[in-house]
Amino acid sequence: MKAGPSQEEIRQHNLGALLRHVHLGGPTSRADLATRMGLNRSTILALVNDLTAAGLVREELPQVTGRAGRPSLVVRPVATRAHVLALDVGVERLTAALIGLGGVFLDRRECAWSPERPQDPAEVADILAEYADDVLSAAPAGGSCVGVAVAVRGIVRHPDGLVSLTPNMGWKDVDLAAELSGRLHLDVPVPVLVANEANLGALAEHRRGGGRGSQNLIYLHGEIGIGAGIVVDGELLRGGRGYAGEIGHITVNPHRGRPCGCGAHGCLEAEAGERALLEAAGRDPRVTGAGAVRAVVTAADLGDVTARAALHRVGDWLGIGIGTLANLFNPDLIVFGGTLRDVYLGSAAQVRSRVNTSALFACREHLRLRVSELGGDAILIGAAELAFSELLARPLETLSPHAEEGAPIPRGSRRGQLAVNPLPLEPADHGNDPGHGPGVRAGLGLDR
Amino acid sequence: MTRTPILELRGIDKSFGAVQVLHDVALSAYAGEVTALVGDNGAGKSTLVKCIGGIHPIDAGDYLFEGRPVQVHSPRDAAELGVEIVYQDLALCDNLDIVQNMFLGREKRRGAFLDDSTMEEMAAATLKGLSVRTVKSLRQKVSSLSGGQRQTVAIAKAVLWNSKLVILDEPTAALGVAQTAQVLELVRRLADNGLAVVLISHNMNDVFAVSDRIAALYLGRMAAQVTTSDVTHAQVVELITSGRSGDLGLTTTANGAAA
Ligand SMILES: Nc1ncnc2c1ncn2[C@@H]1O[C@H](COP(=O)(O)OP(=O)(O)O)[C@@H](O)[C@H]1O
Ligand SMILES: [Mg+2]
Repeated sequence: MKAGPSQEEIRQHNLGALLRHVHLGGPTSRADLATRMGLNRSTILALVNDLTAAGLVREELPQVTGRAGRPSLVVRPVATRAHVLALDVGVERLTAALIGLGGVFLDRRECAWSPERPQDPAEVADILAEYADDVLSAAPAGGSCVGVAVAVRGIVRHPDGLVSLTPNMGWKDVDLAAELSGRLHLDVPVPVLVANEANLGALAEHRRGGGRGSQNLIYLHGEIGIGAGIVVDGELLRGGRGYAGEIGHITVNPHRGRPCGCGAHGCLEAEAGERALLEAAGRDPRVTGAGAVRAVVTAADLGDVTARAALHRVGDWLGIGIGTLANLFNPDLIVFGGTLRDVYLGSAAQVRSRVNTSALFACREHLRLRVSELGGDAILIGAAELAFSELLARPLETLSPHAEEGAPIPRGSRRGQLAVNPLPLEPADHGNDPGHGPGVRAGLGLDR
Repeated sequence: MTRTPILELRGIDKSFGAVQVLHDVALSAYAGEVTALVGDNGAGKSTLVKCIGGIHPIDAGDYLFEGRPVQVHSPRDAAELGVEIVYQDLALCDNLDIVQNMFLGREKRRGAFLDDSTMEEMAAATLKGLSVRTVKSLRQKVSSLSGGQRQTVAIAKAVLWNSKLVILDEPTAALGVAQTAQVLELVRRLADNGLAVVLISHNMNDVFAVSDRIAALYLGRMAAQVTTSDVTHAQVVELITSGRSGDLGLTTTANGAAA
């Protein structure tokens, strides 16, 4: 039999909930927070005071309202007080970004990364750690780095974060978290979380992009391959070992299909990925990437019949894959990210037509197909959201090892009601996880 | 479950002299949705839009707005209802800047005189609300803007005036791929913000990418209004080129008069 939550647990929960509200929703008045969280005004005041004392939020007059009358103060997240490192091992580039509370990009470094290069994990970790050092050393004074997350184009094992396979880089069973932890120079070590890029894209779109308000969405990411992050009833679908969502490797064309990087034939990404598009358009399939894909879409728009036929063909395969997703998961939204953004806009008629003829009417009737609102930054934004999980679950506890850098952390519990759970995709509860120490790799997929 | 359309037209006829351009046309547009209006050149799309906008008087038919029958005899009548139209032959003043264009001819509506900085603030807030980041200065002359930016300003103007229905006549016709993508995103955002949007386009990828419904005009008759989740590209092309596709469309050919 489990006892109810203690006052302190309730307070931590409410502090986290309030911080999440302003982190995701931006500046909000105390009255609105009270309404949205289902708490009374005095509880909100106490929570705001605690978070203000920790430096995580600030109360101030709203910027331009356009409305007359006396504006009320808003609670604003302080981007310079707590930040995270969001790292991305992309196909075309390596990126390190410093992202502050509220989702503010504070700084970033990146370099082009050719798919032809030797893809040694240690070399990748060296570069990312160097960029991380750069952005951390230029971080705002008084700020604390409270999390690190890295996105990979591959499948990542739950719960230990091992990169099991990256088909296009040839990594097998790589402990990227350990590679990075050993190279990062953080004042207070934090776990390095590793996650699949499409899962992070789904998280980003769900929290900050076109998927706000949708509890059943699928994010499709194109970048040579095709990955999916599947959110069902507000939660990311993880599967037994963390590998769910490998839409790129469902077989769509078993008999005469093109060979796939995974070793099979006729996988969706073999038929509808960048290489298939480029080859069908009569271009060099080795020169992949956003520029090459956009060139095909532009050529088609200008009347190039080969480019049009290539988009038509790829759109058809995509529609088959999406029809399958619609039948299986009945999402209300599918978001196209990475190079699939351009591919979709250039082949939407074909994609929709195929979905409309292959998925059950009931499964597709309310399905919206949309391009990513966050564009090229979706993956980094998702990585930042994952890295902020701890802070948003237990703000003061997470910040306390960093206390000397900023304001003192207030202590003491208060009586209070339990806040209404503000948003889906709550971060993991690592509270009693003995393995969750500094420097330990953790968090698979979107570890909850 | 039936929703009241923001705009509902029934039995619209329109002739220019002896030439009847619109025959018994029906069209509905719903809040939160993009309705694509498609049809061959000369099918009557622009004429229909000008009837909605009060530029051309209709000869017969019902014009319902939010379920109520209304009389629209002038562009001013349409604007009063909350109808904003971005015409094919774009109506922005080249020699005025962005803010001036967005407020052109509207000052009276607000009652009191609006000062420059308030207007600039409102224009900036509107563009920001639409996530428009491509325009550098609001004091830039419209003549210095690209085609995509001009469309953006024209669309933003519609939002500034709290329109309920926005109609865009071929907004992407002259644009490249990247600018088209931006305008389509903006079109989608208008609908997601709760407006009813009618988009005229010849590009089937654009139509399928952003629309919720498709209305196909054929030789001045509404061949069919369908939901985008229920038709194929081939069906829409058939509706456009022959007025029918299988069970969809006009029951007799246009030459046979009855629709
Ligand atoms: N002001 C006008 N006077 C006479 N005929 C017109 C006028 N405007 C349009 N038309 C005619 O009406 C038909 C429909 O034109 P329009 O509405 O511009 O078609 P669409 O926009 O679908 O290409 C055409 O035959 C056109 O010549
Ligand atoms: Mg026209």
